[in-house]
Amino acid sequence: MPAVSVRNLRKTFQTKRKAAGLRGALAALFRPAFQTLDAVRGISFDMEEGELLGFIGPNGAGKSTTIKILTGILHPTSGEASVLGRVPWRQRQELAFQIGSVFGQRPQLWYHLPAIDTFYLFGKIYELDEADLRRRIALLAEAFEIEQLLETPVRKLSLGQRMRCEVAASLLHKPRILLLDEPSIGLDVVAKQRLRATIQRMNEIEGVGVLLTSHDAGDIEALCKRVIIINDGEIVYRDKVSTLRRRYLTVKHVDVRYNEQLSPDFSLPGVEMLKVGRFGAKMRFDARVTPVEPVIGALAAAGGLADVTVSEPTLEEVIGAIYARAEAENE
Amino acid sequence: MSSRAARTRSAATGWRRASIKASAGKYWAVFRTQLVNSLAYPMDLLGRSLLIVLFMWIFMNLWRVTYGSTGARSIAGLTLADTMWYLMMAEAVMLSKRELSDTITEQVKDGSVAYLLNKPFNFILYHFAAGLGDTILAFAGNLAIGSAVVWLMAGPPPGLAGWLLAAVAVVFAWLLDFCFSALIGLSAFVVEETNAFRWIYQKLLLVLGGLLIPLDFFPAWLQTVAFNLPFAWIIYGPARLFVDPSLTRLGAVLTQQAIWLAVFGCAVWLIYRWAVARLAVNGG
Repeated sequence: MPAVSVRNLRKTFQTKRKAAGLRGALAALFRPAFQTLDAVRGISFDMEEGELLGFIGPNGAGKSTTIKILTGILHPTSGEASVLGRVPWRQRQELAFQIGSVFGQRPQLWYHLPAIDTFYLFGKIYELDEADLRRRIALLAEAFEIEQLLETPVRKLSLGQRMRCEVAASLLHKPRILLLDEPSIGLDVVAKQRLRATIQRMNEIEGVGVLLTSHDAGDIEALCKRVIIINDGEIVYRDKVSTLRRRYLTVKHVDVRYNEQLSPDFSLPGVEMLKVGRFGAKMRFDARVTPVEPVIGALAAAGGLADVTVSEPTLEEVIGAIYARAEAENE
Repeated sequence: MSSRAARTRSAATGWRRASIKASAGKYWAVFRTQLVNSLAYPMDLLGRSLLIVLFMWIFMNLWRVTYGSTGARSIAGLTLADTMWYLMMAEAVMLSKRELSDTITEQVKDGSVAYLLNKPFNFILYHFAAGLGDTILAFAGNLAIGSAVVWLMAGPPPGLAGWLLAAVAVVFAWLLDFCFSALIGLSAFVVEETNAFRWIYQKLLLVLGGLLIPLDFFPAWLQTVAFNLPFAWIIYGPARLFVDPSLTRLGAVLTQQAIWLAVFGCAVWLIYRWAVARLAVNGG
């Protein structure tokens, strides 16, 4: 049985609409106009126990709404969901013992107190016994490299340090599933990498399943085997991250430099020349149409090679292309 | 149930249910954490307690003139000293209440209410425990500073019985006030702004609760009205008990508090359950 199973999940919000200005405000007073916002439009997916699943999409795509439904905070408008065999919005409290959550934009650590105080509070809230809690704190403190930070008031920690403490806090009760909503938001590159490495390690050691939302493709690329791309409340792509790379990262950019002068009409069959200079050239080709081997062979045969760089589009660009395609299909 | 037994069962089913002891432990921990949190800024705590000095000074001047002009030693059974100690207790209760309705309103409005809902505790009880952690410290500060000032101006405080009986009634007064705060806060689910309700509630406490004037000074008909409303039992009840302690009075105060607690406690519970079901988290 999958750890998380979602079928045709829908969530519609009613929001009040107000026209601009005094006239609009008065009109809204007497006849409020409501507008319906479809945050999630019938999505279905499964997540296996112990899986690292990435949920990616732009702001307002419905990622957080889905996570909130899975923690039981929100009732869906229609559809079904089961988390560890429970219906989240009916069995929220029971489920709370089995899932951990971090919402990147909403700290749960007490701001004016050292993290260790919140850890002890959580120990009580999750009904851990004293000795277990101490062992657990020691283990997590080591894994997250936060031993030195635990007794500093949270307000004095850097964002990266605080985030590691936040994630450690969410693992205190040894949850089977961890829901991370934008955990890397606002972090610098080093802090992001550190956080990712730790999440990965906890997944390996304890087999905790991680459902991660992010609008940073790097998070997904580094952590997840499988990815679901969501846009405008609908799933536009789902597959392994490696497949995503293979299928969409087929366009190669080549930057080549020679020791001798090139002829100005330098070109290769099946390759689009972007720029040809006296000692080098920039070009692009699709590896599905033009095989890599003859291109590289022809480049070597053209003269004494000084340097050659082959690069692929970033995952970010690929996802951009997928959104663009999904939107084009909708129109 | 012992924690070992609870764990054994949890091992069998894979799911646990909170035992009463574990539940009580949670809210106790929340209370303690808030206590420690409030102690993180001792100067702020002290600052909040200084307001009572100003209030007591104003009241002293006001009532000294009033008692002087009537020439009576006591009005409606209260001497000048009684009135001052009454007002000190009333203000101490009022000033140490945390603006919980404000906290809940903010949490509903900005959506952070969601992040307290995905923990294994009850949102309402969590707020009560946290509020109490803050209130008790503020109350101790107000009481200490307020007593010192009133003692200097109006003479020695009531005896030990007054302190003890008032303490019991104050705990229930907080519970009752908590219900009102929670109702005002939860109304944010329906109306977007709750300041008006908060303002009305405060004024009701001021006049009909006996914060401004001991209710005994009111005309009989107004006293009847006030005594039949819950507000008197948040302020007047404990404060009057403080200056005139008796078991009969304690019984009367606790009975009134219990009745209103039952009514408003149920209301909070029902509205909370209804509100959570239709929760739309902002910033989704």
